Amino acid sequence: MPCGTVSDIQAYAVHDGPGIRTLVFLKGCPLACDWCCNPETQGFGSDLRYEAWRCLRCLGCVGACPSRAIEEAFGVPRVRRDACATCASFACVDACAGGALAKVGREMTAEAVVAEVARDADFFRNSGGGVTFSGGEPFAQPEFLLAMLELLRDRGIPAAVETCGHARPEDLAASEPLVDAFLFDLKLMDPARHAALTGRDNALILSNLRWLASRAPGKVVIRHAIIPGLNDDPATHAALADLMLELEVRRLELEPYHPLGEPKYAALGRTRRCAPDPRALDEGRMGDLVAYFRGRGLCCEVA
Amino acid sequence: MVAADVIAFTPREVKVQPSSPRTAFLKDRYLRAPLMVDVEYIRLLTESHRRTDGMEVLERRAEDHAYALERLTPVIHPQDEICGNKTRFIRGAIPYANYAAGPFLKGIRQQEQDAQQKHIDQGHGGGIEQSLALAQQGDHRVFSGKFLISDRDFEAFRGVCEYWEDKCFMEQGDRLWKEHFDEAAFIEKGWTVGLYTAPHEPCPEGRLILDFEMALSKGYRAILADLEQRMAAFRPASLQEASRLHFWRAARRSLQGALAFAESYAKEAERLAELETSPDRKAKLQLMARTCRRVPAEPPRTFREAIQAFWFTYLLGHIEGSHLGYSPGRLDQLLHPFYAADRTTSYAEAVELFEELFVKMTQIEYVASLSWQGLGHGNLYQNLILGGVDEHGTPADNETSLAILDAQIHVQMTQPTLSVWYDDGLSEGFLLKAAECVKTGVGYPAFFNQKTYVEHERKTSSLPLPVIRKHAAIGGCTEPTLQGMSYGVVQAGFVNHGKIMDLVMSDGVDPLTGVRLFEPTHPETYDDVQRSFRDKMHASVRNWQRYWNYVMLAHRHTVPLVFCSVFVQDCVGRGQCMDDGGAVLNSSPTTLSSGMVNVANSMAAVRKLCAEDRACTLDELRAAVTANWVGHDLLRRKAMQAPKWGNDDDTVDSLFLDLFRDYCGWVRGQDNYLGKPYDPSMLAISTPVPFGKACAAFPDGRKAFEPLADGVTSPFPGTDTRGPTAVIRSSSKVDHTEIRGGLLNLKFHPSALKGERGSRNLLALIKTYFERPGFHVQFNVVDSEMLRDARRRPEAYRDLVVRVAGFSAYWVEMSEALQDQVIWRTEHSL
Repeated sequence: MPCGTVSDIQAYAVHDGPGIRTLVFLKGCPLACDWCCNPETQGFGSDLRYEAWRCLRCLGCVGACPSRAIEEAFGVPRVRRDACATCASFACVDACAGGALAKVGREMTAEAVVAEVARDADFFRNSGGGVTFSGGEPFAQPEFLLAMLELLRDRGIPAAVETCGHARPEDLAASEPLVDAFLFDLKLMDPARHAALTGRDNALILSNLRWLASRAPGKVVIRHAIIPGLNDDPATHAALADLMLELEVRRLELEPYHPLGEPKYAALGRTRRCAPDPRALDEGRMGDLVAYFRGRGLCCEVA
Repeated sequence: MVAADVIAFTPREVKVQPSSPRTAFLKDRYLRAPLMVDVEYIRLLTESHRRTDGMEVLERRAEDHAYALERLTPVIHPQDEICGNKTRFIRGAIPYANYAAGPFLKGIRQQEQDAQQKHIDQGHGGGIEQSLALAQQGDHRVFSGKFLISDRDFEAFRGVCEYWEDKCFMEQGDRLWKEHFDEAAFIEKGWTVGLYTAPHEPCPEGRLILDFEMALSKGYRAILADLEQRMAAFRPASLQEASRLHFWRAARRSLQGALAFAESYAKEAERLAELETSPDRKAKLQLMARTCRRVPAEPPRTFREAIQAFWFTYLLGHIEGSHLGYSPGRLDQLLHPFYAADRTTSYAEAVELFEELFVKMTQIEYVASLSWQGLGHGNLYQNLILGGVDEHGTPADNETSLAILDAQIHVQMTQPTLSVWYDDGLSEGFLLKAAECVKTGVGYPAFFNQKTYVEHERKTSSLPLPVIRKHAAIGGCTEPTLQGMSYGVVQAGFVNHGKIMDLVMSDGVDPLTGVRLFEPTHPETYDDVQRSFRDKMHASVRNWQRYWNYVMLAHRHTVPLVFCSVFVQDCVGRGQCMDDGGAVLNSSPTTLSSGMVNVANSMAAVRKLCAEDRACTLDELRAAVTANWVGHDLLRRKAMQAPKWGNDDDTVDSLFLDLFRDYCGWVRGQDNYLGKPYDPSMLAISTPVPFGKACAAFPDGRKAFEPLADGVTSPFPGTDTRGPTAVIRSSSKVDHTEIRGGLLNLKFHPSALKGERGSRNLLALIKTYFERPGFHVQFNVVDSEMLRDARRRPEAYRDLVVRVAGFSAYWVEMSEALQDQVIWRTEHSL
């Protein structure tokens, strides 16, 4: 029975597909976008998260760590990430009285995930909803994803997948009959910029999109995040519109950047490589963007 | 996620104004008015009572009430079009010294009223602020914490209270139970430790809905004629039979007083019309005079007359008793035939009149003991329920239902508490409009599953299905009843299950006061804890029920409701007032409880920590809660991680269900004062705050003095981590056909319900819950950032209404503790 790493399961999600949905976040992503709002989903395996505002300063974690990777500094614990083995034990989490230390990512079987999400089957049925896989990148754990899609199909529960498109073509093809909607991310259009800001170029992404658009155009919704200072420029908008029109994929959802993910970097002991200013994306700016894409002949909404 | 949500808070999606300048004026006038105590009614009632010594009890009650009605000052405020007010003031309350003079006297003498008072806060803003400010200015003073009374009225009222001190309902009941109830000492201790709510006698009436259909279809003159016929045909034989004559005579007198009341408004309207210079307003006043002469004496012919007829009957019943929960019932069913037949009233005009009606309903205040004022938090729980099915099971929503929704969307008053009897067959337009009203953020309508109640009532009363369907309504907060034919639900108040948990953990002694209520049993294991809880719950509930049966012995000879009985089937037919069993349904008195979720969570924590994981012994856990978790941080964390209700986790949900079933079975084992088994119910109103203040820390990780979980099946704030669908899955495991009530609060961030899609998702949520089946759900749709802003700048939020628990309240008039609780409740967003 295939299993995989799940970062979170969130019910009553209403912005990632129609109706009442449950979002299953898979952990692990082939890209490493600078602006990622869910950095805890980028790494494979489990991560240690430390939220300073919950810390009670009991320092129980210092003694509990088998690798001695947590030290006390001015009365407050500090995780030395280079020494932290993200060990299997996570003894520091058990010893934490404030809930500041937490393990992100748990192993689950495909059956266990589906059993959990299927508890809301009647909510899905009454609202035209279902399950959306996101993350991270669902196709980064293809056997796990496909097993879950098949179990959902057997139960008659609709499934959607949010993907960056960087997937093995055979996995995408295998999933297509089992998926009702692909929420396909297109972040940057220029290959060099794509590689610089996400860690990979977009050749595979674009070829997957072409295949999907010819195979099942009705299932594709393009998701485009607007990141001020990084991709909010006319060249990107034009290239995106051109491509969508060429592929006859017309549904576009814009996602304005939000800063809620910023504190997560510190909690993971990482530094962010960019600092987009969300104030640039007020209602006026978003309105202009929607008008542009609609003017180009696309169905455009703000997600 | 929308960027704008993060910068500032999300404004409410649906934001409308009153639909006409007139109703905007009425609302604004309400918002500016101070809270007043009006002693006119009680002074007149007392004047009559001094002279009617020797009359038979029911006739005396009717005579005193009618005497007062005939002499009350009729007040028509500028721009009013519906006549009739409970007091002379915009926001006014009648102090019912005949129900309970003691708490008023203690207030006057600046003594403590009851043991719970110290746990109760009230708000300071809005109209309360007005009252307090005006008291500084001269010949008025503060009364009962938030009301204003003139110095002259204060002296008159002192005399009135002294008159009733030994004669009032509360005192007469006290004499009985304090001497003869063998567990009287336990009740007193219960009050001291916060096991029970304070004595309910100041405002015990309620959950009562009169037979407005009868009042409107017959008119009072025909009812009087009917009474005369009955009396003429009557041949008394036994003494018991003879009392019917007294009831009919009393009924006659009370109706005469009612007609005099209406006539006084007709005269007042004429007087004002004489003085009026504006031709429009003059014509309006003349129409009002004609209307008051037509109704309630004769059946109404137009929609306006029907609203006036309803309002007179409703108001007169409201004046007679010290109510908390007296309700209008299914007003859309009552008024729609008049609206549909009336070519002269447009939809917009109907909406506008409903807006005025709702301002008038909100203008009614109640003054009682400080504890009970705090528990209701200014709300009278006037529940108006729309839609549902008719006696044939056919969905019954109509255009009047829509007008009522539109009226509240526009005017957003805290009364009536609007509700919907949900049925899958209700029209989509109606349901979407109900969702729109929810999204204004006022917290209603609440949704109730009519099928669940119908089944409960069939089990309890064995009445025929068409009767139950037709009369099903909500009386008060969330207690279903059969309108027009049920005894009001007069019961003792709430049992605090959180306090029982305290007593279990500290082996019979209250940890906060040191008062011993139970002999020690030395629990050592989880099973011991379970057993201890069950025994203590049984004793607490049974004592409470028996105490109240004593108290109610005094009701019949001090404050029987005569006028109201006329409009409850089948009192006139049987010739018996409600207290004598005249109502068709007498199984409505309930026993209420609060805090069961905290108990279930605590049991789950004890089991996990002590029995399963062996993270600590029971003694260690006891030491930790006694220390309020100080110095026991890691153990507290483990306690907080133990399974919690509201996450669809059977390990803890099954514990809740065990508690629930045990409670229901046990409650039914005691007959009420009408000779029927008490019906189990659970509510909260605002008890989680004062009850929580009276409780020490719990094994589930809750700290001392924190509020308990609100509602009945709402999770403890912060512990539902699986989203609203999981909360619903937990809640729907409860068999709500076993109780007369139920309450689930869900709070949503506005972005989760945005647009028509958001409305449809909300309706799908409700539909799914009720299929499972559930009974009740209400929604608070607000951004907690907005509430925090409202805390900082109350002046910008004078008209903000939020849902509390079975009622909504003006934010600025809520106490800080209650505001905190509303903010703290879990928000469900992305």
